[in-house]
Amino acid sequence: MEYMPEFTVARPSSLAELVAARRANPGAHLLAGGTDLVANIRRGIVAPEHLIELTHVAELQGIAETSSGGLRIGAGVTLAALIEDERVEATFPVVVEAAHAVAAASHREVATLGGNLCLDTRCVYYNQSEWWRAANDYCLKHRGKICHVAPKGDHCFAAFSGDLAPALMVLGATVEIASADGKTRRCALPDIYTDDGLAHLRLTADDCLLAIDLTPPEPGLRTGYAKARVRGAIDFPLAGVAVALRRCGADLAELRVALTGTNSCPLLIEGTRDLVGAPLDADTLERLVGLLPKQIQPMSSTFTPPGYRRKVIANLTRTLTSRMFDEAA
Amino acid sequence: MAKEILQLTVNGQPREDAVAGNLLLIDYLREVVGLTGTKMGCDGGECGACTVLVDGRPRLSCLTLAASSAGRQVETIEGCARGGRMSHLQQAFHEKLGSQCGYCTPGMIMAAEGLVRRTPAPTQAQIRQALGGNICRCTGYVKIIESVEAAAAESAA
Amino acid sequence: MSGRPPPEAPARKKMIGERVPLIDGIEKVTGRANYTADFLTAGALVGRIYRSPHSHARIIRIDVEAARKLPGVVAVITGADCDKTFGILPIAQNEFPLARERVRYRGEPVAAVAARDEASAEAALRLIRMEVEGLPAYYEPAKARVLGAVDLHGDRPGNLERDVHNEFGDLAAGFAAADLVREDSFDCAEVTHVHMEPHAALAEYDAERDRITLHSVSQVPYYVHLMVAQCLGMDTARVRVIKPFIGGGFGARTETLNFEIIACLMARAAGGRVRFKLSREETFLTHRGRPRTQIKLKLGMARDGRLTACACEVVQAGGAYGGYGIVTILYAGALLNGLYDIPAVRYDGYRVYTNTPPCGAMRGHGTVDVRHAFECLLDVMAAELGVDAMALRRRNLLSAPTKTINDLMITSYGLPQCLDWAEQASGWRARKAGLPPGKGLGMACSHYVSGAAKPVHWTGEPHAVVNLKLDFDGGITILTGAADIGQGSSTILAQAVGEVLGIDLTRLSVVANDSRITPKDNGSYSSRVTFMVGNAAIQAAERLKDLLVAAAAKKLDAKPGDIECLGEMYRVAGGQDPGVSLNEVIKEALIDSGTITVKGTFTVPREFQGGKFRGAAVGSSMAYSYAACVAEVSVDADTGTVRVDKVWVAHDCGFALNPLSVEGQVQGAVWMGLGQALSEETCYHAGLPVGANMLDYRVPSIVESPDIEVKIVESMDPNGPFGAKEASEGALSSVIPAIANAVHAAVGARLTRTPMTPDRVLDALVKARRAAASGGLKRSA
Repeated sequence: MEYMPEFTVARPSSLAELVAARRANPGAHLLAGGTDLVANIRRGIVAPEHLIELTHVAELQGIAETSSGGLRIGAGVTLAALIEDERVEATFPVVVEAAHAVAAASHREVATLGGNLCLDTRCVYYNQSEWWRAANDYCLKHRGKICHVAPKGDHCFAAFSGDLAPALMVLGATVEIASADGKTRRCALPDIYTDDGLAHLRLTADDCLLAIDLTPPEPGLRTGYAKARVRGAIDFPLAGVAVALRRCGADLAELRVALTGTNSCPLLIEGTRDLVGAPLDADTLERLVGLLPKQIQPMSSTFTPPGYRRKVIANLTRTLTSRMFDEAA
Repeated sequence: MAKEILQLTVNGQPREDAVAGNLLLIDYLREVVGLTGTKMGCDGGECGACTVLVDGRPRLSCLTLAASSAGRQVETIEGCARGGRMSHLQQAFHEKLGSQCGYCTPGMIMAAEGLVRRTPAPTQAQIRQALGGNICRCTGYVKIIESVEAAAAESAA
Repeated sequence: MSGRPPPEAPARKKMIGERVPLIDGIEKVTGRANYTADFLTAGALVGRIYRSPHSHARIIRIDVEAARKLPGVVAVITGADCDKTFGILPIAQNEFPLARERVRYRGEPVAAVAARDEASAEAALRLIRMEVEGLPAYYEPAKARVLGAVDLHGDRPGNLERDVHNEFGDLAAGFAAADLVREDSFDCAEVTHVHMEPHAALAEYDAERDRITLHSVSQVPYYVHLMVAQCLGMDTARVRVIKPFIGGGFGARTETLNFEIIACLMARAAGGRVRFKLSREETFLTHRGRPRTQIKLKLGMARDGRLTACACEVVQAGGAYGGYGIVTILYAGALLNGLYDIPAVRYDGYRVYTNTPPCGAMRGHGTVDVRHAFECLLDVMAAELGVDAMALRRRNLLSAPTKTINDLMITSYGLPQCLDWAEQASGWRARKAGLPPGKGLGMACSHYVSGAAKPVHWTGEPHAVVNLKLDFDGGITILTGAADIGQGSSTILAQAVGEVLGIDLTRLSVVANDSRITPKDNGSYSSRVTFMVGNAAIQAAERLKDLLVAAAAKKLDAKPGDIECLGEMYRVAGGQDPGVSLNEVIKEALIDSGTITVKGTFTVPREFQGGKFRGAAVGSSMAYSYAACVAEVSVDADTGTVRVDKVWVAHDCGFALNPLSVEGQVQGAVWMGLGQALSEETCYHAGLPVGANMLDYRVPSIVESPDIEVKIVESMDPNGPFGAKEASEGALSSVIPAIANAVHAAVGARLTRTPMTPDRVLDALVKARRAAASGGLKRSA
C-alpha cells in the first residue's frame, strides 16, 4: 500500500458549506482533480492535516453564458469538459488548444481549470521524494534555507507550469474569488499572480478561485497557443506562449502575448501595445521578441537548460505571432 | 486513523467498506477489494498503469482518494469480461500482441475502453490522444494502436 | 502395388512460423496475471529500505535503536547482518546487500525495516540515523581517474574496474592504406530500463525448517538463488526462488539485485513473510542501466568506401559497483566486429567506478553507443567520398560462413537482404534527396549476439535444460527455468515442442521458473533463450517423439522406423491403415513406464566460445542477428524538436518462429532506441538522480511515437532452432544513428551527443547555420 500521511477530508456541496469547512479546518488544502496535489502529497512536499474536496461545490461547476455574451467557466470545470464544450471551442478556441496541451487525456479527465491556474510552482530540487530532498538539505521552497537554483539569493525560482493561464490572459480573463466570509470579488487574471516561486498566488489562505469570466472576443481576434515540450503528451511546458491579435488591413491593430514556464508565474508581456498600428514585418517581430528578455527569467529549475527556454520562447513567440497575423488577413 | 463507510459499485457489484480518508483508490481496489489487475507503475500520475473507469471515464486511481468515488461506478480490468469471455479490446490486445509483459495492459485497456465507449470508431489520432498518458515499455505502441483499431472494427461488425 | 493412394492424412499441426498469440496472453489482458506485488499474502510484513543520503562516505555508526523500539516494527537489519558480498560475475563481487564500512552512492541500501504496516515502516525509516565521515565523490569518469583520486574499492587504482586493449589485424597498415581517415568523439548519456513493473520481492522464511522462499522479479532466478544462498549462508537446497509474471526487464533484472537479498535477510530476521514494493524512484536507484559512454572513434576508408581500419577508445562511467561492468566494456569492443568486414581493429576500453548507482546490462548490452558512433562516422565519410550510405555498407559486407579477426563465428548473414528491403520500402533512392527542408532520411545497420556463448558461471553443465512431462491426461507440460519476462519465451518453447510433435497448444502447458520444479536455466539475458533453450526444447520433444513412435510401433505392430507421426495421429508411413490416435499412443507408452519425463539439453560447442585472448568469451555467440534501419524525421527549427515520422527496419532473425512476436520484439527494440536517441537520459545533481520518475525521465509517449514497419529477413541459421536467431535486441542500436543521420540530412546539423534533446538540436542548428554562413563567405571570398 502506498504511504500516505493521515488527513481528514471534507466534501462540501455548496459555497456556504465550503466557507464553513474552511473556517472549521484552518490551513486546509483544497483538493480538486488531485493531479498536482495528490502527487505532491505522495512525495511528501505537502502534508496536509485537512483536505477540502471541491468536486461537489455547485458554484464551482458549469460553463454558463453571461449577459454580455461571454462565458463564465467554473473553476471546478475539468479540462476534459472544457475541451468538449462547443461554446468554448467556438468562441475561445485558444482555451481549448491550451487545455489540450495539458498532460494527457486521463489527467484532463479530472484536472480542473482552477487547478491548472493555481498549479504549484515546480523545480527539480522541489518535486522530489522526502529522501531526495533530505539528502539535498531541502530547499528554500520547502523546509530548507537555500535555493539550489540560485544559492546566493533568498528568492525561490520554481517555475509556473500551467498551460491555461497564458491563454486566458491574452483573452483578458477576469477571475471570481470567494473569500473566507463567503463574499466574492473579481480581478484581472494576472493580478492573482506574483513572480515568487515560494508564493506565486496572491490569494490568501482563505481564498478560493470560483470562476473565470471571459468577455466576448473582439471581432477578428486571432488566438493561438504554442508549447515547447519534449514528448507529445504528459510533459509540463518547458515554455509556452499564447498570442491574441487583431489586424486592421495591413496593420496590426491589437496584440497581447502571455507566457508560461519561464518564471514563477505566467506573464502578460508588457509593451506589445507599442507595436500596433503598423504592419507586422520582420522588424516589428524582432521588437516583439526584444521585449521578452527583460521580462522573463528562466532559471535552472528544469533540467532543460534555461538558455534553451529563452531561445525557444523567442522562436515560438515570433512564429506564432506571425502565423496569427497571416491567418487574420 | 478513523475510517468511514464507503459505498460504491465495483464492476457492477455494490460494496460497502470501511476505509480511511487517505486511502487511494488503487490501494482500495488492490488491497481491500482484492482486484490486483490494476497496477501501480510510478510514484503518482506519470505512467497510466493504474487507469480504471469511474462513471465510464478514465481515471488515474493512484491520484484518486477512494472516498472520492463514493456513490460512483468503478470499473477495472477484471470487470471487462462478459460471461467469462474477453471483451473485444481484451481479445484484440491478446491476438494482436498489444500486450507483451502485460504490466501496462490493464491501464491501457481501460483507457481504450473509455475511448471506444464514447468514440466507437476512433481515428489513429484519437487513439494516440486517448492513450497519451499510458506508457508502455515493450511494444513501441504500434501493436497497441492496431489492437484498439481491431477491437473497434470488431465491435462495429 | 495397389493403385489406391493412402487415405488423406490428418493435417499435422504447423506450429512454427505462425502468428501465435502469447501462451500467457489471456492472463495479461484479463488482469489475472499475478506479478510479485499481486500476491496478497495476509499478514505479510511491510519491508522498507533506508538508503544512503551520501555519495561517498565512511560509515561510523548506523543508529537503528529508535527504529527498532517503535511499536509495529518487527525487525531492523543493517550491514552488520550480512558480511557476504554478491555480484553477477564470480570475479567481481564487491557489493554488500546492505552497505558495510562505506557507502559509495546516494541511494545505496544501508538498513531495512519490517513493520506491521506502512505507516510504522515509514516512521521507523525516519528514525534511522547514519553517522559518517565524508569522502571525495566522483561523478565524472575523468575525475575518478585522476592521479590521487580516492580508490572506491581499494584495489583499483585510478578507479579502473577494467581496461581492455586489443588489436586485431595490422592497424598501421590499415590506416596507411586508407584514402580517407576521419576521427570524431561521441558522448552518449546514461539511460535506464524503466520496465513498467517497479521492483518487488516477497520473501518467506520457514523458521522451523530453516528454509527461504523468494518470489521476485528476476530475469535470472538461478543466479538469484545462488546469491541468496551465498549471502544468507544457507545451503542452496534450503532456498526456493519463484518467478511470477514479470513486468519487463530489458536487462535490469539480469543480475541479483540488492533488494532481493535484503528481502530474504529480512524475512529471516523477522521470522516470517516480508513484502518489499520499491517505489519508482527506488527502482531508478537500483538502476543497472546503460552507462554513460564516451567514444573516440577513428576509421580508415579506401576511396571506394571499403573500410581499412578502425581504432576505438571507449570510457564507461560504470557507477559504484562491479555488476556486469567487465562484460559491458568487453562487449563494446568485441562487437566492433561481426557486422562489417574490417581488416584491422584496435580497441581500448576503460570501465571506471563513479559514485553513482551501479550500471549493468541493458538491451543491446555494451554495443549500442559504440554502434551509434560507428554508423554516424560512416555517414560522414560516405558523404565526403560521395558514396551513398546504403552502397557504402554494401561495400563492407561479410560473407558467411566466416570467422572475424577477433574469432567471432558468423554462420548466417542476412544483412544484404535487410539493406535491400530498407532501401526499397523507404523509397531511399527516390526520396533521399527530394525531401523538403527540415525533413530527412537516415539509415544505419546493427547486429547482436544470439546468446552469450559462455555462461556467466562456468560449471561445465549444459547451457540449457528443458524437461517434458507426459502423463495419463495426455497433457504435455514443458518445464523450463527460462524466465518469460514478457518477451514471449514460454510461447516460443511451446511452439517448438508443438512443432516437433505436430500438436497445438491445447495439449501443451508451460511451467516456468520455480526452482523446486523447473530445471535450472541461466536466465533471460543476451538473447539466449530462443536459441539455447529452444534447441534444448527441440531435443526434449524429439526424445518424447521417439518414445511415442516406439509405442505406436508396438501398437501397430510395425517397426519404429516405419511410423509416421501426424501429431494427433500415428500410422505406418504409406500404409492403408488409418493409424492410431495420439491418446491411444500415449496410453500404450505409459504402460511400461508410467509418467514419462524426458529431458533435452543444449550446449554451445567449444569452437563458438570465442578465441584464446583475454576476454574473448564476451561477444562470442553461435549466431548473430542483423538489422538495417531507415528513419524519416522532421526537425522543428523553432523548438529543436525531432519528430520521427516513420521507421523502416529489416531484421534478420534467422527464421521467425513466431512472426507476430518477432515484429513485436523488433518494434519494441527500435522504439526503445528511439527513446535513447531523443529524450531519455538520467541526470544527477551531486550524485542524486534528478529525474528518477517517469515525468522527467522521458520514455516516449504514444502520441509522438512513430509507425515502425518491420521486415523479417530469414537467413536460416544452420545452428538455430529451426534456423532461428535472436529478435529482441539487434535492431535497437541501428535506430539511434539512423535518426542522427536523418537529422543531419534534414537540417545539416551533426549531433555527437545523445539524447538529441530539443536544446541540443537547437544549439546544433545555430552552429550549423553559423558554419554554413562562414563557409559561404569563404566560398564567395
